[in-house]
Amino acid sequence: MIKTIIVLITILSAPLFIGIINKTKAIWAGRQGASVFQPYFDLIKLLRKGETVSPTTSFVSEIAPSINVAAMIFALLFIPFPFVGSVLKFSGDFVLFAYSLGLAKFFLVIAALDTGSSFEGMGANREVTFSTIVETAFFILLGTLAFITNRTSFESMFAMLNYSSFYTLLIKLLFVISLFIMLLAEGSRLPVDDPNTHLELTMIHEVMILDYSGINLAFMVFASNIKMLLISILIANFLVPLNLGIAVGIALCVLTLILIYLSVGLIESLIARSRMSHIPQFLFLMTALSLTSFAIVAFFIHGVIK
Amino acid sequence: MNLFLIGAVFFLLGGIASVFANEYNKSIIYIIFSAVAAFLTSFVVFSVLITGNSMQTEIQLGEPIGKSLLVLDPLSSFFALIIIAGSFLASVYSAGYMEMYKGETAKLSTYHLFLGLMSTSMIFVVIVQNAILFLISWELMSIASFFLVTFESNKPDVRKAGIYYFTSMQIGVAFLIAGFAWISSLSGSLDFNSFKEAFTNYPALSDFFFALFFIGFGTKAGFVPMHTWLPRAHPAAPTSVSALMSGVMIKTGIYGILRIIFLINEIHPAVAFSVLIVGLITATIGIANAISQNDFKKLLAYSSIENIGIIGLGIGIGLIGKSYGNNLVASFGFLGALLHTFNHFTFKTVLFYGAGVVYSQTHTRNIDKLGGLIKYIPQTSLLFLIAALAISGLPILSGFIGEFFIYSGMIKSFAIGNIGVSIAAIIGISGLAFIGSMAMITFTKLFGLTFLGNTRSDLHSQPNESDMFLTLPMVILTILIFLVGISPFVFVTFIIQVVVLFVPQFSMNYYIEFLSLLNTITISISIFILLIVIIYSIRRLLLRKVKRTEFKTWDCGYQGGTSRMQYTSSSYAQPFMQLIAELVPQKINIQKEKVLFPKEASLYSSSQDISEGFFIQPVISALKKFMNLFSWIQSGRMQQYIIYGLLFLLALLIWILGVEL
Repeated sequence: MIKTIIVLITILSAPLFIGIINKTKAIWAGRQGASVFQPYFDLIKLLRKGETVSPTTSFVSEIAPSINVAAMIFALLFIPFPFVGSVLKFSGDFVLFAYSLGLAKFFLVIAALDTGSSFEGMGANREVTFSTIVETAFFILLGTLAFITNRTSFESMFAMLNYSSFYTLLIKLLFVISLFIMLLAEGSRLPVDDPNTHLELTMIHEVMILDYSGINLAFMVFASNIKMLLISILIANFLVPLNLGIAVGIALCVLTLILIYLSVGLIESLIARSRMSHIPQFLFLMTALSLTSFAIVAFFIHGVIK
Repeated sequence: MNLFLIGAVFFLLGGIASVFANEYNKSIIYIIFSAVAAFLTSFVVFSVLITGNSMQTEIQLGEPIGKSLLVLDPLSSFFALIIIAGSFLASVYSAGYMEMYKGETAKLSTYHLFLGLMSTSMIFVVIVQNAILFLISWELMSIASFFLVTFESNKPDVRKAGIYYFTSMQIGVAFLIAGFAWISSLSGSLDFNSFKEAFTNYPALSDFFFALFFIGFGTKAGFVPMHTWLPRAHPAAPTSVSALMSGVMIKTGIYGILRIIFLINEIHPAVAFSVLIVGLITATIGIANAISQNDFKKLLAYSSIENIGIIGLGIGIGLIGKSYGNNLVASFGFLGALLHTFNHFTFKTVLFYGAGVVYSQTHTRNIDKLGGLIKYIPQTSLLFLIAALAISGLPILSGFIGEFFIYSGMIKSFAIGNIGVSIAAIIGISGLAFIGSMAMITFTKLFGLTFLGNTRSDLHSQPNESDMFLTLPMVILTILIFLVGISPFVFVTFIIQVVVLFVPQFSMNYYIEFLSLLNTITISISIFILLIVIIYSIRRLLLRKVKRTEFKTWDCGYQGGTSRMQYTSSSYAQPFMQLIAELVPQKINIQKEKVLFPKEASLYSSSQDISEGFFIQPVISALKKFMNLFSWIQSGRMQQYIIYGLLFLLALLIWILGVEL
């Protein structure tokens, strides 16, 4: 019961965190900025607006946003919340987690191709290209996590991470950095993607939803908000120590999430978007970090050198 | 068992009967015969799979075969099930697809005859237990499929592809003959059971034997680098045949490998690792080449190679578990491999059947010329989309379940505690994830560019939704895709008996663990479906209050867009192909005159299969050089050939006289 409530609260708070990013950017730029609740107003406005549909599109565009939202909520059921655990768990559940995000991406991409617009085709192929790198690195990371803890489900893996030696701390650090890169890539944030420019040629995620309007656009935006929060909670799992009480723990967890979004906002204020051809290099950093963490586990924790 | 054998022969009988029928009845007669065949055989197959008790019958043939067993054990039954289902569906689909060749009576006769022969010989491949009988059925299968591939033999490309295919098959068979001959000389019998003892008596040789058989069977299955016939033969063959070859026939190669593993039993870790690595390389090369293809049948052929690689990966994990004595890992690996074998049959057949509908309506296989077909053939498009999602391994559908078991096997193999196994496992996990995301590129491209958007060229006539014969097989298979995806439990109970053959220590505890795991998956997937339904209903509710208007796709204010401005197959693949340029080299040829005012220019790009350039070509050219040493024998002069004849007679004379002396 408490888990369901927490999941509901998480889903509903997803746009709030986007508000935090925007506020951070505004303050850094010396503006007052919109309220942190602005994303909610935007979503409500979109839900009440009419829809413009291209005659080129088919049922694929019609159902893709709903599938995206459903897949994100479904993925959230596997995410272990610190102190509370996850709603659904079984051996190897993280494979289903990752693949349901994959299903969402598949529909996002074919919905973009459905419009027959060359801009959206451009965004679509960038999205799938970059996700090959991120997804592979994510699985190396999860495999390493399974290796180090000798557990096979999300919840039990994180529960086992409580002990702290020098190497575990090092690995936690590597995990946090690589997941943060994933957050920037999958959340379509700078330096990978720019959520604010409306010049179609420079974008990945925004350009794929260019032809959506009204309810479907609201769904797509909401889905991407939840997706960012999903990955942030994973990061928070590594950062929040587990041996505190539940009240302190939850407060600390929320604080960590706010800090993560603050740093995303700061990064967006400080750096520019990379050139398209440099993005794979940035993403390969995630692969390199997760491979390093596997090597550390293999050689220092389970291997010859102890 | 006799019922089964009669049923198996009915496919061939149907082929023969349809030769004598008139043009309009050929396909109907073949469908009736194959329905009878499927009806008779499937009962036996299911009973073996449920109870786990094998059936056998002994036949007496002349020397050198002698007494021989025909056995239907769970492994044979599992593959027989795929063959029977595939053959029956092929008979139905052919009735619709062969409409294209109306009027060519002689060709249609040969088509049905060889289709029947191929089905019957495939069934015999999986039940015979004697080396010579096995090779005979194996060769019959290859010959029948050769004639089916060269159905349109008036086209030079098709003839070339057919001969390439047949040569590859003969090279593969050469390895099999060598293997069988050697092992039977050690065991003193041609019977498979005697091989089992021989393998235990000569453990030092078993790795070598495994390699020999793996190359032989791997040529049929399409493991890299023996895969080169697939992208040639599949586009050449009629689509109904491509589907049967890709969905069913290449699985006989997997059957052969599994049979040898069953006979050898003691597998060394080195062999297990090699199978894992070969599987991974096969899958990577297969899917990486699939992305760059513009011909959709060639793309599907490369994707078959990928899936064979994934099956190989599962077998590799199974073998690792077996050789390190971890039965749980072994059962996960074999279960994943077998499940994926079945799943690949279902979704790849739907994909090929869908491609056949597209081809029969548009007469092109080039993705760059297509687009927007979802408006003309919505049913086929939907079925194709479901199969494309399944083959990308996405949840709710069957592809996910097979890959999930292979992933689980790899994750659980960390518990073995061997550093080599752990490194292999992490390579396998990340490799499978990489392959999965490449599959997503391939199938978003295939579906998105063929069926969505606007049509990129003038089609001669408007495509129409085709008749029932074409759609019905796809619908049946799609239902299977959903069933396996949502409640894998039923299918796993069928396959468990096969797994037990490979993991004799399989205990009740594992079974319970599997069942509870599958239960949780079913519950989770149901929640997922429920969520999709809820969210979509919310959308419908909200939609009632708002207005919907229609306006053309936003093109940044530029109103003169044409359908040719859309992304094409090559441009969609380009960013990723640039990333993996070392793996799949691209050749781009631009022809442009350098003048002030630009004139007509042309651009041609193609991709290269590196395993072909680095492995197949050097071997072939070395072989050619060697064979050239003997070219003086074939001089083309009549006098020389007469001398050969005389010399031969002389030698014969000496030999006979010599014996008498």
